Amino acid sequence: MNEIELLHWARGTGLKWALVVFLLGVVLRFVEMWLLGRKPDLAVARASGAVGGWRTVFTRSLPTPGLIKTSALVFIGGYVFHIGLLIVLVLFVPHIELFRSLLGFGWPGLPSAVIALVAIVSMAALVALLVHRVMHPVRRFLSGFQDYFVWLVTFLPFLTGYLASHSPVVSYTSTLAAHILSVELLLVVFPFTKLIHALTFAVSRWYNGAIAGRKGVAV
Amino acid sequence: MNGLDAIGIRIETGAPGEDSGYALAILREIESLLGELITSGRAGRIDLRSLPLLPGDEARLAAALGEGEVDADIQAMGTTRVRETAVPGVWWVTHANADGQTVAELIEIALVPEILKTHPEDARAGLNTLQERIADLIRGGDTNG
Amino acid sequence: MADDRTLGEALAQRGISRRSFLKFCATMTSLLALPPGMAEVMAETLARTRRQSVIWLSFQECTGCTESLTRSHSPTLEGLMFEAISLDYHHTLQAAAGTAAEAAREQAMKDNYGKYIVIVDGSIPLNAGGAYSTIAGRTNLDMLKETAAGAAAIVSVGTCAAFGGLPHANPNPTGAVAVSDIIKDKPIVNVSGCPPIPVVITGVVAYFLTLGTLPELDSLGRPKVFFGDSIHDRCYRRPFYDQGKFAKTFDDEGARNGWCLYELGCKGPVTHNACATTKWNGGVSFPIESGHPCLGCSEPNFWDAGSFYQSLPTPTTSVKGAAVAAVVAGAAVGAAVGAASRRRKSKAAKARTPVTVDDLK
Repeated sequence: MNEIELLHWARGTGLKWALVVFLLGVVLRFVEMWLLGRKPDLAVARASGAVGGWRTVFTRSLPTPGLIKTSALVFIGGYVFHIGLLIVLVLFVPHIELFRSLLGFGWPGLPSAVIALVAIVSMAALVALLVHRVMHPVRRFLSGFQDYFVWLVTFLPFLTGYLASHSPVVSYTSTLAAHILSVELLLVVFPFTKLIHALTFAVSRWYNGAIAGRKGVAV
Repeated sequence: MNGLDAIGIRIETGAPGEDSGYALAILREIESLLGELITSGRAGRIDLRSLPLLPGDEARLAAALGEGEVDADIQAMGTTRVRETAVPGVWWVTHANADGQTVAELIEIALVPEILKTHPEDARAGLNTLQERIADLIRGGDTNG
Repeated sequence: MADDRTLGEALAQRGISRRSFLKFCATMTSLLALPPGMAEVMAETLARTRRQSVIWLSFQECTGCTESLTRSHSPTLEGLMFEAISLDYHHTLQAAAGTAAEAAREQAMKDNYGKYIVIVDGSIPLNAGGAYSTIAGRTNLDMLKETAAGAAAIVSVGTCAAFGGLPHANPNPTGAVAVSDIIKDKPIVNVSGCPPIPVVITGVVAYFLTLGTLPELDSLGRPKVFFGDSIHDRCYRRPFYDQGKFAKTFDDEGARNGWCLYELGCKGPVTHNACATTKWNGGVSFPIESGHPCLGCSEPNFWDAGSFYQSLPTPTTSVKGAAVAAVVAGAAVGAAVGAASRRRKSKAAKARTPVTVDDLK
């Protein structure tokens, strides 16, 4: 299969199946989680759980006291990477075109040069986080295969995406195919790894906040 | 093909004032080729059609090179125009076909462009042609007295 | 039909001057990106050679490649390519017909065995034993194999001959394949495009005639000198792409200002051809310059790459149906797994025996 046929496959069959696995997996896990339910709290509620839940969704975005001192790199690097990811994913014109074809509507984007800079900074943050994970004895001890695999699956779309726009040697066709395939890999493993936190983080924050809120504690 | 000229088309070029920098780049290449011509006698050629020139680039280049003393037209399956620029040794050659469409646009750096020269074999054939014409003239002179 | 005249003699007899031929060679040389002095070398070499025998096989094609080649130029200057070759067989252009035409082909093959060039346009169907396209009662497959056996080189003209082209598109009912899928033991040049730029065809033949070899080819067998760059890399609208100025519809302000056609489906970034530099109709224009996005017609399977008007980042097939099915299936499986887990949980709860003080003693 030559490079253009690979690109056609990635844009056609590959994307379709990746989306199928992604949607099936995400819906499956959400339904399963919801069905598993929670143990009923038989104590008398001191305050509203729901209010506490929504509050925590937002307050958890801020660092807990002392977090900056113990994990400055992870906190700052994590935010840099996540914000960079959102900017590149949602404000790069070719990505907006993809969303327009999937959703039916689009939005204005940023200049490509800005996106390139954000991508580089995000990649730097990812590398810094990986190095920290490997060098810090406790984090290294706690890290397993999935942690490193998920890092790679997240890093590859950035790398291949940047190379697609800035590769003077390897042809654009090949790098674009590699980029789309790396995203398809990410989509396929997303529902079955910790990557699903992208969707469940709000749910998890809400439940934790609701449990504490019912008890009258604002977290 | 000829009827296309009758269709009124207005070509919008967007930003005609923008300088892409190509004209300057080509002038630098001409400079180095001319240097080579002077030192080693090797002629050079730049094919303007192979470059993605923006509208206005050719005009900027022509303005920079200027016009020289020689302006020659060659009628060979269409007109080829050979103009010396204001820089001796730098020639602007425009090949057109019989319909008047430009098929090649070259900057030639040479003492004289190849297409102007007479080929030795053509000169040999020309000698025969001349001898025939002389013979005709003599014959014609005899009958006319 | 054997012609023993050299090209120079043939031209002189037709009253075509050396300067005309030099003009033609100068055009060819610069097109082929050969060194400047090559124009004179090409003119000298071609003038002294016997006219090259060329057999043109037209298979499952629309004749667009021949039309592109023969209609594109004034019948004088670029037509000199036809002076440099002896076109011994060509369905559309030859005077002979029927058995006389086939006899001409066989004679040319015999007279020039091992030295003639075969030009093929159109794909070769394999289904139904090859019966979908026959000439003189013989399948294209047979004729190709027989004619290729004595060829010095084969030029696959057009995307159909080079990669299968339109007949090869989904579902490919005739089983169409490219020339290179059948012939494995001869040098093959793929001059792809739908149709190819005519002067690229003549340039390849001129190169072969002058230098006796095929030009350097890329991984898909296309001459690098014409197919080495993508349209995107040589497009004059590239500055607009880099600045993010895109036309959104075909007649909006951006389109009229000549902005980039990426959002209208331009396949320029993944298409290799000479359209942006050599252009069409004698260098007049090319699709993007005329306001239409590149179709990607010189690449394999471009007919199956989704709509011509859907941009590159978009999927080539509709995913809506599959997405809905995936959500439904996910809900069903999730419900089943969740229900099974709940059942297991309640069963465990029922089966639990409380710990008593006696158990602890």
